[in-house]
Amino acid sequence: MAEERRFRSASGAPIALRRRQHSASCRDLAVRGPRLQLRSLSAATSAVWLAAYGLFALSENSMVLSAAIFITLIGLIIYLHFVKIDQESLLVIGSLGIQVTSSYASGKESTTFIEMSQVKDVVINEAIHMQKVIYYLCILLQDPDDPQGVSEVVPLFQSSKPRLDCLIEVYKSCQEILEQRKTAPQSS
Amino acid sequence: NSPAPLPERAIYGFALFLGSWFGFILYLIWAYIPETWLFSLGLTYWPQKYWAVALPVYLLVAVGIGYILLFGINMMSTAPLSSVHTITDNYAKKQQQKKFQEEAIPALRDIPISEVNRMFFLPEQ
Repeated sequence: MAEERRFRSASGAPIALRRRQHSASCRDLAVRGPRLQLRSLSAATSAVWLAAYGLFALSENSMVLSAAIFITLIGLIIYLHFVKIDQESLLVIGSLGIQVTSSYASGKESTTFIEMSQVKDVVINEAIHMQKVIYYLCILLQDPDDPQGVSEVVPLFQSSKPRLDCLIEVYKSCQEILEQRKTAPQSS
Repeated sequence: NSPAPLPERAIYGFALFLGSWFGFILYLIWAYIPETWLFSLGLTYWPQKYWAVALPVYLLVAVGIGYILLFGINMMSTAPLSSVHTITDNYAKKQQQKKFQEEAIPALRDIPISEVNRMFFLPEQ
């Protein structure tokens, strides 16, 4: 059972939230950001090439033009492989743990898995970020020494930064699964 | 420690007023009177006149950089999103739970973030 809904990110870009329920205690939530737009790519390429042509007109050195082409190509590859995140997903398995995956535009995927015994809660926190106050979803990790304490905060959906309405949906889905581990009998 | 006027304060104020006027007139003399006239008066060991222009410029540039520096220091001291200081701090961890009394206003305390989230975002409960 999959459903997809459109939302907006903190900066106004359109994002889509896709929810899939695999079983009663396993859910998959994915936030997809906008793909690389042709107009921003052409704007950046034209800006770099115009600047290089201006430098060439001033200095009469043709290496500037080839350097500009190299910089554009390598810069695009680095951007797609290390910076542009297309989709961030959260897989919550009630008895096992939470897996966070980021898929880059070049196809690279980086995943992090957090065991369920380490997870204290998934909450929506608000904090100051670059002259703005934003809401963001985060996983609170349990402090092994102190049952009430929080040892670490893992922020989620860092590059797509959904707004509060999308975060509330994700929060409710996660809480439905996390509540089950309180009512379910503990198996040692 | 009240800011009311006192005789000592009046004397300090007047001394500062005279001192600042004296300093200003001295600065004008140093900056404008030609070196040869100062030498003929016997004042040969005053600093170079270059500094009469350089020090005010240094001061103004420092004030301008101070604006940018303060902005930067503020941004650097903001806790990152992954810091546990956005959730709690030492005072909240060490707070004592007061006993719940019927018919009384509950004591002020720092509510844990999980509880706040449940209150705000799960309205069915």
